[in-house]
Amino acid sequence: AAAAGGLRRAGWRLWRGGRGGGRCQLSPPHRTLQASAVLRRVSDEQKEPLASSSQQQFDSHPTNHQPEQEPQGSRPSYTGQGGQESEDFESEEQLQHRILTAALEFVPEHGWTAEAIAEGAKSLGLSAAAAGMFHSDGSELILHFMSQCNTKLSELLEQEQKLVQLGEAEKKPTDQFLRDAVQARLRMLIPYIEKWPQALSILLLPHNIPSSLNLLTSMIDDIWHYAGDQSTDFNWYTRRAVLTGIYNTTELVMMQDSSPDFEDTWRFLENRVADAMNMGNTANQVQSTGEAVVQGLMGAAVTVSN
Amino acid sequence: GDIAFRFINYVRSVRERQLQRKLRHHQNLSWQEIAESYQEDKSKSLGDSQVVVCDINKEMLKVGKQKAQHLGYSEGLSWVLGNAEELPFDDDKFDVYTIAFGIRNVTRIDLALQEAYRVLKPGGRFLCLEFSQVSNSLLSRLYDLYSFQVIPVLGEVIAGDWKSYQYLVESIRRFPPQEEFKAMIEDAGFFKVDYQNLNSGIVAIHSGFKL
Repeated sequence: AAAAGGLRRAGWRLWRGGRGGGRCQLSPPHRTLQASAVLRRVSDEQKEPLASSSQQQFDSHPTNHQPEQEPQGSRPSYTGQGGQESEDFESEEQLQHRILTAALEFVPEHGWTAEAIAEGAKSLGLSAAAAGMFHSDGSELILHFMSQCNTKLSELLEQEQKLVQLGEAEKKPTDQFLRDAVQARLRMLIPYIEKWPQALSILLLPHNIPSSLNLLTSMIDDIWHYAGDQSTDFNWYTRRAVLTGIYNTTELVMMQDSSPDFEDTWRFLENRVADAMNMGNTANQVQSTGEAVVQGLMGAAVTVSN
Repeated sequence: GDIAFRFINYVRSVRERQLQRKLRHHQNLSWQEIAESYQEDKSKSLGDSQVVVCDINKEMLKVGKQKAQHLGYSEGLSWVLGNAEELPFDDDKFDVYTIAFGIRNVTRIDLALQEAYRVLKPGGRFLCLEFSQVSNSLLSRLYDLYSFQVIPVLGEVIAGDWKSYQYLVESIRRFPPQEEFKAMIEDAGFFKVDYQNLNSGIVAIHSGFKL
């Protein structure tokens, strides 16, 4: 009985990863075919983007009809060895992503809370209880939003780079590049700006700091990468620290800004970037002045000793 | 019944909070409107939420109803006689299914899990509170000692019923451990199945979602 149970479980998992409908065959015939209704939809929608080889085999199979007459034995042949487990997790995660994306709509009204996630779930036709899958402080929603923004920013910068490579656009000087990149990223906050302070405070909670820091640093990395930063020395750290500082302070200023289209914020940003550029020059100047002073002192010492 | 009462309290408190939030935004309500909103509150403090309490034993249902009346819970509660292995409900009806210290007594646990899956809406959550295996070996020995030496004796002394309490303790031991029960829940079709040990495993809460 245990072996049969185990086999059933394995077989069912295989099938679940696929079209999801045939599970009914494992259970008493009077059960309905509602099983995995949501996940099935997910795997249908994701048919094109998913490039895994096991998925390719599925394309030929009927999707929404439950083939009652399909023999049990043929099921194990559908998925590859490694394919089944990862497909299950993909489906769950994809569903979670969909719920979070849908929940973003409700943020202006409910804030970054589990209630917004519940509304998002309801809008997808799921019970509000599905919000229980996520952390109760709404942090996953915020992190999801941030990572979406970062992805959008990367794509934007990628496109701009392509244009420059194709010769259709001028390569921007570093300070303008930084200004535009930070502005583009901060503009994505505008629809949610009223509740963003709440988000920032949630992100500062100890258990959220690793993830939010991670997202922040990877975004800063991206921007410098597209700005053409090739440094492999200590500069790498200073550049990131400087840009992180600029980004965070500008974000905070934006929270308080009430000027039309956030003009004050962009002016603040301009000044900070200019400061940073100057700081680089000043550092060089200080270094060369320092070297000159040292040489002068050495000369004086030599002269004195003679 | 107890979980039903807690749920009702929770729903009421959430709605109160929501109402307070709404009122805070509307600065200039007339007295008429305020009075209306409070009246509305009285008559449907639960909104659309409903709780159905189901048990296989009519006597237990009677006890539950009496307790509800005694504590003042009247609206939003229904009491249904039913078997967990074959629930008298339609598919996709409920947002949450909870069972506390009950699934141990079901003959075919897998059928009960399948029924739970059936009656839950997509996105719905299954929650089960049940005795489970203790992980800590020292505590486990103390617990065994207490279970087999003390509980039946107390049962005999207080309720005059040694056998029932012997059954209780034995059924606790026969129930599958946390991981195995988790696998059974996954078998029934639930996703994101997880459990939380209370009192280092004497009791565990298992949770799963119908996705």
